[in-house]
Amino acid sequence: MTMAGTDPIAVTAAPTPGLARRLFSNPAGLIGTGIVLVLVALALFAPQIAPFAPTRMGAGKPLLAPSLVHLAGTDEFGRDMFSRIVFGARFTLMVGAIAVGISLVVGLCIGLMAAYARGWVEIVLMRLSDVLFSFTETLIALACVAVLGPSLQNAMIAVGIAGIPLYARTAYAAALVEAGKPYFEGSVVAGAGPLRLLLTHLLPNVLPTMIVIATLGLSSAILAAAGLSFLGLGAQPPTPEWGAMLSAGRDFFNRAPWLMLYPGLAIAVVVLGFNLLGDGLRHVLDPKGRDR
Amino acid sequence: MGRFLLRRLGMGLLTVFVSSIAVTLLIHLVPGDPVQIMYAQSQGTTPEQIEAIRHSLGLDLSIPEQYLRFVGRLAQGDLGVTVRGQQPVLGLLMQRLPNTLALSVSAMMVALLIGVPLGFLAAARRGGWLDAGLMALVMVGISIPSFWLGLVLLFFFAVQLQWLPVTGNGPLNLVLPALTLGLANAAVFARITRSAMIDAMQEDFVRTAHAKGLPEATVLHRHALRAGLLPIVTIMGMQFAYMMGGAIVVENIFAWNGIGRLAIEAIFQRDYPVIQGFILVFATVVAVVSMLLDIAYALLDPRVRRAV
Repeated sequence: MTMAGTDPIAVTAAPTPGLARRLFSNPAGLIGTGIVLVLVALALFAPQIAPFAPTRMGAGKPLLAPSLVHLAGTDEFGRDMFSRIVFGARFTLMVGAIAVGISLVVGLCIGLMAAYARGWVEIVLMRLSDVLFSFTETLIALACVAVLGPSLQNAMIAVGIAGIPLYARTAYAAALVEAGKPYFEGSVVAGAGPLRLLLTHLLPNVLPTMIVIATLGLSSAILAAAGLSFLGLGAQPPTPEWGAMLSAGRDFFNRAPWLMLYPGLAIAVVVLGFNLLGDGLRHVLDPKGRDR
Repeated sequence: MGRFLLRRLGMGLLTVFVSSIAVTLLIHLVPGDPVQIMYAQSQGTTPEQIEAIRHSLGLDLSIPEQYLRFVGRLAQGDLGVTVRGQQPVLGLLMQRLPNTLALSVSAMMVALLIGVPLGFLAAARRGGWLDAGLMALVMVGISIPSFWLGLVLLFFFAVQLQWLPVTGNGPLNLVLPALTLGLANAAVFARITRSAMIDAMQEDFVRTAHAKGLPEATVLHRHALRAGLLPIVTIMGMQFAYMMGGAIVVENIFAWNGIGRLAIEAIFQRDYPVIQGFILVFATVVAVVSMLLDIAYALLDPRVRRAV
């Protein structure tokens, strides 16, 4: 038994040689990764980076224009907008991760189950997904918030549920392709049980597609949740959540346009970051779709 | 063609059916007693009144009975009355629906008029700097939140330049909401047009056109464009649904009196009959529009017409 490192076959068969390098050689992937890393750094080190506490009133005079002390100005309570935006990165990351987590796990289960079970299970699950998909995510999220009531937690759940049909359909389509391959049929004939078929054959082969969808999904989940907060159906004041901040800034539209400018810009940059990263990943993981 | 129409109609009916069930169940998923929550804001409601309301909403029946009652009333055009003001819900929604449709349709025009030419241009200059620049612009376009874009447009055109009114419900008031909603979707159309055109340019009949020596412009406009436009029709149905969804947010920024604004107010007031009616009307409109667009697609492309 030779060591893996000295075995020439093992070396050449190493999976995804330099995935990161290929991702970074793609401009979209590089810029996207950069933006996402900055977001993560802001979220992790918010107390060190922010000059003021995010909810501290009177950090400066009310409605100060942006300056060196208050980089993004102050709001009507004299809270430092830059600090609030820095702390807002935490909510953005949390909302995106939890909402996409819900959509991904539930969607993956539904999609794999439908592709594996076939028959009426497949028909019911996928027709239902089609119908819900046609309702659009906005309508499903609104219906969920209408039932659960407005709060940040409920907005995350609502956006997560709203995403399920897309993830279910994607997982289903990818799993169906895999289940049609000869090795899969061979495995069925050889008597592999459902767990083996689902977990060792379908799941690993569906995952790359799902990772791309989830990365792109982070951007739409962040956008949707910020939209709910903007409408007053998500995070409530004084939470330093970007959508809620933008909504509060509307009241000072004329006198202090920076109150709506910076939180919105923050959302746009982060959403762009995840979109670019997802695009880059798609190029790397699926070279066939390179020019689309 | 007949079978295709039947299948498409079946899918549309299924959508409306599922939404009617979802809407009936919705009120039972509310944590706590929906009647108590609805009337929590109006004080001094006696237990007898609560029971009477429960009865009038049919909440004292079993769930299948409630569903039949709901459908029976729906067939007579009755979606119940609003919690506050006791107005007929269907009438209220129908009064507001034309505003939402006007917004969605004009946003669709904006999106098509901007997106399709840009996508065509990018495909024609595929691989060049213009293509790269346009696709970067598309990426930025789909990343900008509509609620922020709306506020920024409002700030520049209505407050700073004073070219357009800030709020109201006249035709001029439609300009900014339609631009806001249309611009983000223009990016989507640009991307779809580009990839559809690139596919079309690789088709055999386009190669033939090239081979027989037609000028590049003729090949692009007369041959590739026609084939390239078809996929756009197929995604228009889905895009229209997104526009209707986006309209909910945009109506709230510009105080445009559509059903989206009504729905958000209803969620805050816990006016469940209005929320139920809104979901049903929204789903029905989306189902009907996407069905019509799919039929249009079948009529446009003889291959589809014959295949299904």
